[in-house]
Amino acid sequence: MINIQDIRDTAKDMLAKGEVRAVIGYRRGSRGMPAEPAFITNPEQAEELVWDPTCFHNLSLYLVEDRKFLAHLNKTSDAPIAIIAKGCDARSIVVLLQEHYFKREDVYIIGVSCEGTGVVDERKLAPHLNGFQATKAVFDGDDFVFTTAEGEKRLPAREVMADRCLECRNPFPKENNVVFGEDRTGRELAEPFAALARFEAQGTGERWDFWSHHFDRCIRCFACRSVCPMCYCDECVVDSITFPVTPATTAEEKANRIRWIERSATRSENITYLMTRAMHLAGRCTDCGECERACPVNVPIRLLNNKMEREAREKFGFEPGASVGGPSLVASFLDSDPGDFIR
Amino acid sequence: MSEQQAYEPKVVAFLCKWCSSAGSDLAGVSRIQYPPNATPITIPCTGAMSPMYILSAFNKGADGVLVSGCHIGDCHYIEGNYLARRKMHLTMELLKFIGVEPDRFRMSWVSAAEGAKFARVVTDFINDLEPLGPQDKLKKVVAND
Repeated sequence: MINIQDIRDTAKDMLAKGEVRAVIGYRRGSRGMPAEPAFITNPEQAEELVWDPTCFHNLSLYLVEDRKFLAHLNKTSDAPIAIIAKGCDARSIVVLLQEHYFKREDVYIIGVSCEGTGVVDERKLAPHLNGFQATKAVFDGDDFVFTTAEGEKRLPAREVMADRCLECRNPFPKENNVVFGEDRTGRELAEPFAALARFEAQGTGERWDFWSHHFDRCIRCFACRSVCPMCYCDECVVDSITFPVTPATTAEEKANRIRWIERSATRSENITYLMTRAMHLAGRCTDCGECERACPVNVPIRLLNNKMEREAREKFGFEPGASVGGPSLVASFLDSDPGDFIR
Repeated sequence: MSEQQAYEPKVVAFLCKWCSSAGSDLAGVSRIQYPPNATPITIPCTGAMSPMYILSAFNKGADGVLVSGCHIGDCHYIEGNYLARRKMHLTMELLKFIGVEPDRFRMSWVSAAEGAKFARVVTDFINDLEPLGPQDKLKKVVAND
């Protein structure tokens, strides 16, 4: 059981001593139950930090944003940023470190173990609350306790936890500077890739029916890209408006740029977008599930990323974000890689 | 397409400059007969293949995509085809996953001396594609006015 006061004290102490520039964590949100990201620079503010089942955001996104912001100001980091990271978030940070996006000394990882639980999935929770809105959620052993206008409601965590947390293999942040909570790696709440296996049991025709339905629904709002710490490219290959335009860019240059896909939200373009994104995240996605949570039309994006993760694991023995010095999936190879599909 | 015309699969063939491209050339100068459905695109190395090329070819109406390069160990850039093997495996699995027929995508190793093998690979591919009919799953729909 994590005592949030310990995390607050650590944050306050580091800020007071000037060891870190800021602490990125979670605080009470303004939309009822869900926590929201907090950027704390003042030691007194550290009391606002919370740790509850609604801390679903992958905060490593803001390390990326911070680095972009500093680059924009032509500045370099003078002190590290402390960040509260769950198991999956810590792996995201490791992937960013592998890609030399920032240096290890630029980030101070305050690891929090999810222990026997994880974060809540609001879509799974809703049917349990008789139409009421939860205003608060707390951990209690292997249960979550929600507060609604009706009173308190205790639910087993397994019933309302996000799929990714049920299937999580590493709920403990291995890469950390300080860590709270006990290591419960190997807790096995559900078979890894269980949702994926259920989906894959279907035939080619059913799979296409499922995906064509979802590809039609995608509105290409790019929320999945915005929320992903791995989608940090300034120029996105599938989005022509991100290509830089300076006063010196000629009309001819603009006209002759390669547009791999159109920006219209039609099925064929959505497929190319989502598939390209899945390929770009292969070996980098740490299954934090933010893309699927952020999607306004509930496209099961996580399935695509999960498929890539499982292929990498089973065929190439690759685990994303395993260690800072580790190889990248598509820039490394083994003699034993499968080649039987090649004629 | 009118009723009388038989369906002819359109194949985009990405051939590595050092092996398969020369292999296809050898098939030509050796006067080996094989279907003319494949449009070759020479790439510097299969390691330079981006999954985007494949998705883009399907997006623009290809019925099948062939990627062909040097045999393992023969890459001009030492390791390009090892990297390609991984990337293309992932791309192929993803295509299968969303419900694209597995026969729409094929990869082969054809050396510069294997003109006959290149002809056989293309012939087999076309034969496998014919029963599948036109690829319309990933194809861009252009409104007719």
